[in-house]
Amino acid sequence: MGKRDAVVVLSSDEEEEDWKPNKNSRSKLSSSVPQANPEVAKKKKKARFSSSVPRSRSSRVDQFEHLGDEFDEALRAFNGSIGYVKNQRKELWVDKYKPQSLEELAVHKKKVEEVKMWFEQRLRTPKEEFDSYVLVISGPAGVGKSATVHMIASHLGAGLCEWKTPIPTLWQEHVHNSSSGIRYTSKLDEFENFVERTRKYISLSGESKSSIILLIDDLPVSNGKFAYGRLQNCLRVLVQSTRTPTAILVTEYGNTETADRTARSIEELVLSLESAGACKVLFNPVTLNSIKRTLSRICRLEQCNVTAGEIDLIAKASGGDIRHAITSLQYYTLKPETSFSSPSSNGALACFEEKTVDLNSLDVEASLPFGRDETLSLFHALGKFLHNKRDTENAVTSDHDRFHLREKFRRLPLKMEAPEKVLSQAHGQARPVVDFLHENVLDFIRDENIDDAWTVASYLSEADFLLASSRGTITRSYEAESVLQSTAVSVAVRGVLFGNSNPLSSRWHAIRRPKIWQVEQSSVCNKFEMMKQRFTAYDGLSSSNLSHVAMEHRHVLKWLGSRPYGNGVLTQGNDTEGNKVDGMTSEGQQCEASEDEIEDW
Amino acid sequence: MASSSSSSVSSNYDIPWVEKYRPNKVSDIVGNEDAVSRLKVIARDGNMPNLILSGPPGTGKTTSILALAHELLGANYREAVLELNASDDRGIDVVRNKIKMFAQKKVTLPPGCHKVIILDEADRFFFDFFGGNMVKCRYNISMTSGAQQALRRTMEIYSNTTRFALACNTSSKIIEPIQSRCAIVRFSRLSDQEILGRLMVVVETEKVPYIPEGLEAVIFTADGDMRQALNNLQATYSGFRFVNQENVFKVCDQPHPLHVKNMVKHVLEGNFDDACSGLKQLYDLGYSPTDIITTLFRIIKNYDMAEYLKLEFMKETGFAHMRICDGVGSYLQLCGLLAKLSVARETAKAV
Ligand SMILES: Nc1ncnc2c1ncn2[C@@H]1O[C@H](COP(=O)(O)OP(=O)(O)O)[C@@H](O)[C@H]1O
Ligand SMILES: [Mg+2]
Repeated sequence: MGKRDAVVVLSSDEEEEDWKPNKNSRSKLSSSVPQANPEVAKKKKKARFSSSVPRSRSSRVDQFEHLGDEFDEALRAFNGSIGYVKNQRKELWVDKYKPQSLEELAVHKKKVEEVKMWFEQRLRTPKEEFDSYVLVISGPAGVGKSATVHMIASHLGAGLCEWKTPIPTLWQEHVHNSSSGIRYTSKLDEFENFVERTRKYISLSGESKSSIILLIDDLPVSNGKFAYGRLQNCLRVLVQSTRTPTAILVTEYGNTETADRTARSIEELVLSLESAGACKVLFNPVTLNSIKRTLSRICRLEQCNVTAGEIDLIAKASGGDIRHAITSLQYYTLKPETSFSSPSSNGALACFEEKTVDLNSLDVEASLPFGRDETLSLFHALGKFLHNKRDTENAVTSDHDRFHLREKFRRLPLKMEAPEKVLSQAHGQARPVVDFLHENVLDFIRDENIDDAWTVASYLSEADFLLASSRGTITRSYEAESVLQSTAVSVAVRGVLFGNSNPLSSRWHAIRRPKIWQVEQSSVCNKFEMMKQRFTAYDGLSSSNLSHVAMEHRHVLKWLGSRPYGNGVLTQGNDTEGNKVDGMTSEGQQCEASEDEIEDW
Repeated sequence: MASSSSSSVSSNYDIPWVEKYRPNKVSDIVGNEDAVSRLKVIARDGNMPNLILSGPPGTGKTTSILALAHELLGANYREAVLELNASDDRGIDVVRNKIKMFAQKKVTLPPGCHKVIILDEADRFFFDFFGGNMVKCRYNISMTSGAQQALRRTMEIYSNTTRFALACNTSSKIIEPIQSRCAIVRFSRLSDQEILGRLMVVVETEKVPYIPEGLEAVIFTADGDMRQALNNLQATYSGFRFVNQENVFKVCDQPHPLHVKNMVKHVLEGNFDDACSGLKQLYDLGYSPTDIITTLFRIIKNYDMAEYLKLEFMKETGFAHMRICDGVGSYLQLCGLLAKLSVARETAKAV
């Protein structure tokens, strides 16, 4: 049991998770400290048992970092039961309501089961050889990737050994300040050490590997081509040699605006991991129902009265990000004594039923002043624009009636406030508005009015042009930018309003999410894919442009049937086999995705 | 532009009114009732969740955060609040370290209070420090994910002692892992009444002589931006000691909206020549094409004209603005715009 004495906690995630007052977290520094609560301590000890690697700098730094928190905690524990009830209110709900069991996870059951099975197989039958011991879990932010791994580990009674990217301390900062660049590499060094240590340790101690799961929640930062190559290499080595079940978590970026080169380089890493034989599982955004269930549970426990309609709104606005949903709920329940007036009525509920906007209840003021999903608050405004309600006759003879328009340019007055005002109330950003209008407007134009479709399309394309010109240039002032954006969005909205001279009469319509967003995303992916191929093929020295690659090279390559990865023939085979064994093929995902509980956001 | 003139015109080194009249309490912030009412509850009860305040400039985002932090932490403010903004150009590592050091720092606070890290202009912040700043583009890759790691980890690890408040113009420019950990509070432009209300307070305290049209002009130039409104008011006062339309537009270096309105009127009435000479006057007064066209756009937006014409006018103005932004800001460009507007009118006119 000598190993247990030398416990080094590379992870202290447990600390981050549950701030229980009766926990003596010093136990992790030295196990000889008497445990306050034997039951908890036992559990912790088991969970904590991680690796008997000699204390390294990184882990010491880590421990040091947490000393402060521990002290805090100890203080709280000291304050004991009096403070506890009060302190309860001062937590973030995302921390306070961390899932405590597998059932509480808001992740799709099958997905959890799948991941659990994967780890269980590897942990329960250590003698058996598996093709792959690395599982890449990728998915958008806040869908419960980390929570799932944590829960599964504790469910299986396995210790988590977590890599955490250290942030250099100020001393190091000082030392290295002059020669920048070293810091990043040093992190990489540490990562390499970490990987090396875990490998060595695991191969030395055959029996205890059954109780450890390795978790890499944060891929370390790589800076520049060289460091990146090292990281990639290091990860490949890890994939190919580790015998400890390992989870690597990767955050996907759905939004193209923030998806920069980082996201691309991470995608590339994932590909290279897969080619080295790692299994991959994709986490979808959390379903609406799961989010609602979780939110309702929290509401019950917090005893705050939030209506089902409000929960529904919050859940929808979160875009499948449960962490954000919970945070929003916490913010939302900060109601002053008078309750939030606008969307609490049933009208708002109906308005957002099943992502379908009831365009007939246009008078409900349902713009949501919070939530990650900006587009939701737009639906209301979009409904107005698409529906295009007008007075039946020109009642008021205003100033401009002195000026006679041709028949075809005449329109009846709009039954709404100025479009610009409606937009600003809905917090409408130009780009999404234009995209949404473009996606949906045809549903509202009569089949026989092809001229209207033409008019609308030409205005939309002009708006698009105006927007395109504002994209990319970064030097422009906020002011100039905002004028361009508002002209573009005005042209689009007013073009739709004016162009559709005889809109279809009221009925239910679902507003669809712009398909172009998907297309753009996959186009970016493809481009990136090609760039990579070009890079590997020419060793980075190529100047052939992408359209050549797309038009000619790719077809030839396809025709030749060659693989994109130079050294991939063997490992690729490995890869697919591993997948088959684990039932984590893409087909598996597809058939799951078609299940009715899954919706795409 | 207005802010710089406000400090230079006055001889006795007044403090800018934007600072002098920056509300210290959350309850003094006007507009955006829903957001402000919730912030008030936070100020009362503590336990601020991580927040992203997003919205157009001058709507009180920074003010709200600062006021909130003051109310939450009171005398501990200096110890327990870390303010960072995009002009903090000491480099990303220093900033990241500051955040981390601060998060680790021990401060004795009353129970239920948290340290607060304020990242103002966070979108630009991420852009400059962690994103695609041209100079630093060599480190591009590491910057963004570095920020991610530093911030999202700090947010999680220290959430029991430290909370974040970010202010930005567009929340979508903030990386998703951080959005995911924050409640997003959206601010919208202030209405003219809301701005007027605040201006009246200032005007009375400072004993500014004014006529209502003058304040109206200030509000027009501000376009929903309280900072702009206060700056323009102060600039007018220190320049002319009297707030009327003429002085406001002189100080703000914006074409007089009436003048621009007349141009539009001439176009609509078919007097192209008159419209052009109006434009020439403005141009000769030295207004830049961007100023002229920005005012023109706002006039058109609010002008009562046929729906089709408004649409066409906006479209043409947009294109002209685009070309001006691209560097073709000539007198000819503006004349061309007027001609295009006239053509649109001719096309629409019943014969
Ligand atoms: N809602 C408001 N209520 C009162 N004053 C405001 C408000 N919004 C802005 N101001 C004034 O404008 C100035 C700038 O506001 P600030 O909060 O910095 O805007 P931003 O939203 O750009 O951060 C403040 O000093 C304050 O005087
Ligand atoms: Mg600000």
